[in-house]
Amino acid sequence: MVKVILISIVLVSGVYSEDAYERYCVDCHKELPTSLQRMFMHYLLVYGGEKNVKAGLKHYLKYPIREISVMSDLFIDNYGIKKKTTLSDKQIDEALNSYWERFKVIDKLK
Amino acid sequence: MLVSKNKGTNSLLKSEKKSLFRFLALYMSMVIFTISLLSLYYYQSQEKLVLSDKRAILTKYAYIQTKRLKVLHHFFDERVEYPRDPRFRSAIYDIEHIKIFSLLENDNIRFQEEIYFTEGYIHLVKMLDDFYLGTKYLIIEVEDTGAWRAEIWKNILGYGFLAFMFFMIFGLYLAKLFLKPMRDSILLLDRFIKDTTHELNTPLSAILANIEMMDTNVMVEKNKTKLNRINIAAKTVSILYKDLTYLTLEQEKENHDEVIDVRELIYDRAEYFSILAQSKQLECKLELEEASIIIDRRKFTRIIDNLISNAIKYNKRHGTVSIELNQGMLAISDTGIGLNEESIPYIFDRYIRFNNAEGGFGVGLSIVKKIVDEYGLSIEVESEEGHGTRMVLRW
Repeated sequence: MVKVILISIVLVSGVYSEDAYERYCVDCHKELPTSLQRMFMHYLLVYGGEKNVKAGLKHYLKYPIREISVMSDLFIDNYGIKKKTTLSDKQIDEALNSYWERFKVIDKLK
Repeated sequence: MLVSKNKGTNSLLKSEKKSLFRFLALYMSMVIFTISLLSLYYYQSQEKLVLSDKRAILTKYAYIQTKRLKVLHHFFDERVEYPRDPRFRSAIYDIEHIKIFSLLENDNIRFQEEIYFTEGYIHLVKMLDDFYLGTKYLIIEVEDTGAWRAEIWKNILGYGFLAFMFFMIFGLYLAKLFLKPMRDSILLLDRFIKDTTHELNTPLSAILANIEMMDTNVMVEKNKTKLNRINIAAKTVSILYKDLTYLTLEQEKENHDEVIDVRELIYDRAEYFSILAQSKQLECKLELEEASIIIDRRKFTRIIDNLISNAIKYNKRHGTVSIELNQGMLAISDTGIGLNEESIPYIFDRYIRFNNAEGGFGVGLSIVKKIVDEYGLSIEVESEEGHGTRMVLRW
C-alpha cells in the first residue's frame, strides 16, 4: 500500500513539474517535422511584438482555419489544420506565456 | 579761449532727436526680427538639406542591415550574433517600441520621425514590412561631425551683419526724409526772422534813444506813467530784438573773451530790467558776492538778460526775483508759474514755449543753452509747477 502511494506521488509530481507549454503543446507537435521554435519564428515574422504574437496564436488555437495559418500551403496540405483547442482561456494564456519566454529573441542576441 | 561754433539749424533739436531715436529703435527692432526670422528659416532649410543628403546613404545601410536580419531570422538559435558594420551602428525595436537589441550610442529614439539629429548623431528610423526577429523599427546611427553647422553660422553672422548694416543705412536715409519737412519749416522760420530783424533795428533804436533824451522833470505825472509804459514795451522788444539778432547774425561773429566782473554786470542788467520788474510790482533780492568769468561779454550778457527777463516775465504779480552770486555759481529764481516735470528736458529747444500767455518766440533759453555748451558751462533747472523756477549757472 505504501509503495502504491509513493509511486502515485512520484507520477503526479512528475506531471506537475512540467510547465503549461510542455503539458499542453509538446506532445501533439512531436509528430510534426517543423519544430515549435521554427513555428515561433513564423509567428514572430508575421505578428511582430509579444502582444500581437500571443493574440494571433490564441485566436488560431481557438478558431483554426487555413486562411489565418502562418504555415506554408505545402505544410497544411500534408498535415492539415489542427483541431480546435479544448483548453480554457487561462490554460491557453499560461501555455503562451511559457512559449514566449522560451523562444523570444529579446536577451538572446549577442 | 578756443571754442567751437556751429549753426543752430544744423544740430538736431531734442524733440527731433527723440523722434529720430524712436523711429530708429522701432526700425532696428523690426530689422533684427526680420533677419532673425530669415536666419531661422535658412538654418532649418540647411538642416533639411544635410538630412536629405544623409538620407540616401543611411537608407542604403538600412537595406543592407535588413538583409542581414532576414538571414539571422531564418537561422536563429543556430546563430545569435547580431550583425555589425564598421560604417554605422544599429538597433532593432519591436512594434510596441520595446528594444530587441541595440548598438546605439544614443538610445533616445524618435519613432515618429524618419531622420533626425540627436546630440551629435544622426538617426534614420526604417520601418520593416516583414518583422525579422520581431523587428518593426530598424534604427541606423552615424556620427554628426557638426562641420556643416559652423559653416551655416558663419553665413548667418556674415550675411546677417551685412544685411543689418544695409538696412540701418537705409533707415537713416528714411529718417532724414521724414525729418526734412520739420527742418524745412525751421529754416523757413529762421530766414523770416533774419529778414524781419533787419527792419526792426532802426525804429527800435530811435524809440529807445528818444525815451532816454526826454526830460521827465517837465512832464506831468500822467505823461510820466505813459512814457514809462513805452519804455517797458520798447525794452521788451529790445530784448527780443537782441536775441533774434544774436541768433541770426551775431553768433557767427568771432568771440572776444575777457575777464568779466559778474557782480557789476548783474547790477547793470538788474537796473536795466528794474522798470519791467516794477511794472509787475516784483521784489528783487540780490545776494551778490565778488565773482569773475572769462567769456565774450556780448554772449554772457545774453545769458544774464534771458535768465532775468524770464524770471520777470513768468513771475506772479507781487512775486520775488532772487539773484544769488558767488564765485562759480549764479542762481536766478522766481516765484512764478513753474514747469511740470515732463517739460523740463525740452525748455532749451528752440521755438518751444510752454506758456502762450506771454509774448516771445521761444528762442531765449535756446540761446542760453548754446552759449553754455559753447563755453563748457553748466546750467541746471529746478522747477515746481505753481511755485516757481530756479536756474543755476555754474562755471
